[in-house]
Amino acid sequence: MIEVDAVSKYYTSGFFSRIRTYAVEDVSLSINRGEALGLVGESGSGKSTLGRMMLRLVEPSAGRVVFDGIDLRALKTPAMRQLRPRMQIVFQDPDTALDPRMTIGESVAEPLMVWQQGSRHERDDRVLELFAMVGLQPELADRRPFELSGGQKQRAALARAIVLEPEFIVLDEPTAALDLSVQAQILSLVQVLRKRMDLTLLFISHDLQVVEQMSGSVAVLHKGRIVESGRTADILHRPSHPYTIQLVEAARKSEEWFGKQRGNHGSGDEV
Amino acid sequence: MTRNAFLWISVAILALYFTVALLAPFIAPYGATEIVGAPLQPPDRGHLFGTNDVGQDIFSQLVYGSRVTLIFGFCSALLSVSISTCAGIVLGYYGGNIDEVVCRILDILMPIPIFPLLIVLTTFFNPGVVQVSILMGVLGSIHGIRLIRAPALSLAETPFIEGARSIGATDLRIMSRHILPNLMPVVTAKFVSSSQHYLVMGVGLSFIGLWDTMTVDWGSMIQNAYSSGALSLGLWWWILPPGIAVVGISLALALAGYSLEESFNPRTEVNRI
Repeated sequence: MIEVDAVSKYYTSGFFSRIRTYAVEDVSLSINRGEALGLVGESGSGKSTLGRMMLRLVEPSAGRVVFDGIDLRALKTPAMRQLRPRMQIVFQDPDTALDPRMTIGESVAEPLMVWQQGSRHERDDRVLELFAMVGLQPELADRRPFELSGGQKQRAALARAIVLEPEFIVLDEPTAALDLSVQAQILSLVQVLRKRMDLTLLFISHDLQVVEQMSGSVAVLHKGRIVESGRTADILHRPSHPYTIQLVEAARKSEEWFGKQRGNHGSGDEV
Repeated sequence: MTRNAFLWISVAILALYFTVALLAPFIAPYGATEIVGAPLQPPDRGHLFGTNDVGQDIFSQLVYGSRVTLIFGFCSALLSVSISTCAGIVLGYYGGNIDEVVCRILDILMPIPIFPLLIVLTTFFNPGVVQVSILMGVLGSIHGIRLIRAPALSLAETPFIEGARSIGATDLRIMSRHILPNLMPVVTAKFVSSSQHYLVMGVGLSFIGLWDTMTVDWGSMIQNAYSSGALSLGLWWWILPPGIAVVGISLALALAGYSLEESFNPRTEVNRI
């Protein structure tokens, strides 16, 4: 479905010397249709940059991004625009993900407006249908983002992301800014939507437990490079790279501190 | 008093000025250049503010003069803010090399004082009110471009703009539907403060006779009275009305500008009165 081949992103600085600072360096990975890949790493490891490059929201400096057999970097702007409805992104911070000047309903309907789908009436119906899907009350359509809670905003952002029925969604730490109980709700909502719409997901997170729930395979990013990848259960229980070991240890410690019991199979149903 | 009260007071004063300018033919008893009586008559029932040195009615001149002065101030402000907004949004959104080059050019242009430059330009081209107002709008937009560009730049980096790109919105749509509405507070405040600035500047330009001196507006009225020695002769009714009119609208606009600025940016905790 989507394949990343030796992709790098670097920023040059310095007038004469042209020092290159790598955000992502020589990363290759692929996600099959209907699968979810977790992308784990600490802050500044290049997770978000990689996710954005897969949608060409950030221009890669080198390498290839192939979406459904199409080389994204070879596309000109109008052709890329035609492809955009098939791929979407959900951001980390729900406070800035929605235009503060638009009502929630307008924000969710905006993709339909951009692609001139349906009449005004049909769009309104579709918005209400989506509101029901993501569990938002219909009367919230006329509110503005500042009147909603973080969880409601993230639901609205999800509704906006799925309105054009995309095949591939990048979830850029969608629960990092939410408190625990809301996190669980949003995660199970994502699971439901994924099954219903047969979505391919890239799930970016720094939280191992969350990744364990969400995706069958995982890639660990450290300083812009993938240090380990494979099935989630294998990696979390038998990490081989020193950084991954550190990460798993840290997660385990915090869990012990919370007095939780780790499930053996990493199922997320108990939420 | 709260800033809301200030805002409403200034809006009321502005509404009064606009009504007078719009309904000038119904309010003014005589024409602006009509000779209607003996020269230098003090105010009485026939002539509310008396007459000037050739026997024109000062009240009628004041009423008709408001048209030129207001049109000048608001048109140049509108032009200047439109240019600033468009250029600022485009520069802020696209960024990159063009932004860099244009900003350096603006850096060079910014320190040039507009008023002396206008005096030089008008001496060469001998323009009318409309040309001067266009000139002033264009020259005055330089500062505004920088003002609008800064918030446009930071808006262009926010996730919801990236989100709009990811749904396939065109650049034009992003700039007009997302960036512009979010900048409206800044744009409005800039418009109000520019109109005050330009209005006073227009009166000044007219006072030193930079456009057709036969045009009746507040600047030329003050100039006529001043050069005929109205002050030393004690002809207060000739020079005070246009002066007070200018001060009044300028204060109202300044007040509106400040209260808008404060309500849009609550962090400026300045108690002005």
